[in-house]
Amino acid sequence: MTPRIIAANLTVRLKSFYREKSAMFFTFAFPVILVLVFGTIFTKPEHLDFDLPVQDLSHSAASARLLDALTTDHTFRITPVPAGVDATQYAREHKQNLVLVIPENFAVLEAKRLGARDASVSVPLTYVHDPSSTAVNTKIQVLDAIVATMNQKMTGTPPFITLVATSILSEQYRFIEFFVPGIIAMAIMTSCLGNALNMNAELRQKGILRKLATTPITRADWLVSSILYQLILSIVSTVAILLVSYAVFDVRLHIGVWLPLIVVIEVIAFVGIGMLLTPFAKEAESASAVGNAFLFPMMFLSGTFFPVEMMPAFLQSFAKLLPLYYVNEALRAAMIFVDHPATLRLAGVAAGFAAIVFVAGTFKTRWDGET
Amino acid sequence: MRHGMPNSEHAIVVERLCKRYGTLLAVDNVSFTVAKGEVFAFLGPNGAGKSTTAEIIETIRAPTSGKVTVLGMDATKSKAKVVRRIGVLPQDFSSFDRITVRESLSYYAQVFGCDADVDALMDLTHLRSKANARFNTLSGGLKQRLGIAAALVNDPEVVFLDEPTTGLDPHARHAVWDVLKGLKDRGKTVFLTTHYMEEAELLADTVAIISKGRIVATDSPARLTEKHANHMRLTLESSDAAAPGLIRNMGFDPARTSDESICVPVNNADDVRAILGEIERAGLSLRGMDVRKPNLEEVFLKLTEEHHSDAANEGSK
Repeated sequence: MTPRIIAANLTVRLKSFYREKSAMFFTFAFPVILVLVFGTIFTKPEHLDFDLPVQDLSHSAASARLLDALTTDHTFRITPVPAGVDATQYAREHKQNLVLVIPENFAVLEAKRLGARDASVSVPLTYVHDPSSTAVNTKIQVLDAIVATMNQKMTGTPPFITLVATSILSEQYRFIEFFVPGIIAMAIMTSCLGNALNMNAELRQKGILRKLATTPITRADWLVSSILYQLILSIVSTVAILLVSYAVFDVRLHIGVWLPLIVVIEVIAFVGIGMLLTPFAKEAESASAVGNAFLFPMMFLSGTFFPVEMMPAFLQSFAKLLPLYYVNEALRAAMIFVDHPATLRLAGVAAGFAAIVFVAGTFKTRWDGET
Repeated sequence: MRHGMPNSEHAIVVERLCKRYGTLLAVDNVSFTVAKGEVFAFLGPNGAGKSTTAEIIETIRAPTSGKVTVLGMDATKSKAKVVRRIGVLPQDFSSFDRITVRESLSYYAQVFGCDADVDALMDLTHLRSKANARFNTLSGGLKQRLGIAAALVNDPEVVFLDEPTTGLDPHARHAVWDVLKGLKDRGKTVFLTTHYMEEAELLADTVAIISKGRIVATDSPARLTEKHANHMRLTLESSDAAAPGLIRNMGFDPARTSDESICVPVNNADDVRAILGEIERAGLSLRGMDVRKPNLEEVFLKLTEEHHSDAANEGSK
């Protein structure tokens, strides 16, 4: 192994990368855009605000109190529905998945219940809903909770059973904190695998490997420069993701010694997989097909975007065969839970996998086109 | 066949070389030598085994059997030492797309660990004006010239050029030939693989012709032509039906190659004068004529066709 040759390879590859804008975009900007998009979408539920058309047929002080309760904490944005309109028709025409109707006798019935203390009196609030809407259930649950709170307040007695939440985490974490480690792992995987396959196919197809085979470059020089190249890209990509996450979402993650260690393990694992897949991707077209066939299942089944616990049992078992699962879990154990034993165990599994595929890939790598 | 006893004057010695891919014997018991300082052209039709042979000598491929010695070193066992003393322009040379000419040459110099004068290399290959152009912006001819410059960064004793002018336009081809003549003048041993006879005739001291994996002739272009194509070729532009019969009666062997032309092998200028005089006396029409000396292309076609026929006959027995 010659440091001079490794430095030469590294310089050429980094210059090529820097000068190819699309590669720069997909390696650095794309994961950052994913963080911004998914972070924005999934951080929203902490500040729920739903549109709620309300047809107030009562127009009383009692219905006004109800409307006040609905808009407390800006949970619902009330849109008045005219009294003479059919609520069902209104929902269809205005494409609303939930319309609340306060009956005309709301104030009278409230007075009977509270003033005359007649416990047999109840007030039916009708809601017209679209069961085919995926979002309506959340709105109904929120509405239910607000009504239950109002009922409880009206009775004047404190609740007997109350729920107290205790987090397994030392601090309150949001979706974005779970998402960022997954995106870091995904960005490294796509960069390593994509570059290993595409670069190799391009060099082979264009005959550059044949030229390199007539120089003093050894297989070890080539592999070490590939690893260092991917490591540099992975570090820059990780730093970019973290900077944006801190700046835009004010994430609270633990950045310790585990993060660089897991990044190194992941780079070795996916460069190794890339070397093993190279024989199936001798041309640029097949390289992209082989890469995608491997990347997409890995991306969606390893818990990058959502927890594997959401998947059916057999897919959960399958996920545990994928290296990205262990990288995702190790990063979360290190960056969110700060659970060193779990991180050690998960990173150890990933490192074992990396060692096996890298050694196998090294033996599989050839300079020439001989079969 | 010329492949004298190997000695220290030989840059390359190939002995009983075979390369098999499954059932295909791509190189079949090939032996030849290349003297130091000579330009050796290796000719053959597509698929004849010339690139495979060249790649074995260049250490890219391993032989199935036989031995290749380059500058006194076994090409298979001493790859690391051999590559430091040779320079290779592979077929369809390509480099990193977004790397400039100067950067490419510096890269190869760094890889070889040598203190190459990149400017001098660019001057030699007439690339100085393109020093900062990226590889993917270069024309085919410029790319080949960069390939030749890259093959010279380590000041090699033997330079391998695999089809250096294939696919180039005439101007680009002549520019590459100028560079190759420069190498010859500098005393480099050049192993040139080509299927352009004109190129071999112009540049080579020795030519080897390979067909179906076997060497069918090795000698200087002049001696090969003298030995295998000793007839001049007279082409007469005449559509007169009586012309071929008249020429045949004079003892020649004319062949009508088209409605408008007749081809006649002749030995000398006297034969040409005699045929033209007889046509004039008979009052036959003659719109034009052309006399060509025999060239390497005829030798190549003759030898490779003969070898194909022999192989076909052997196969049918």
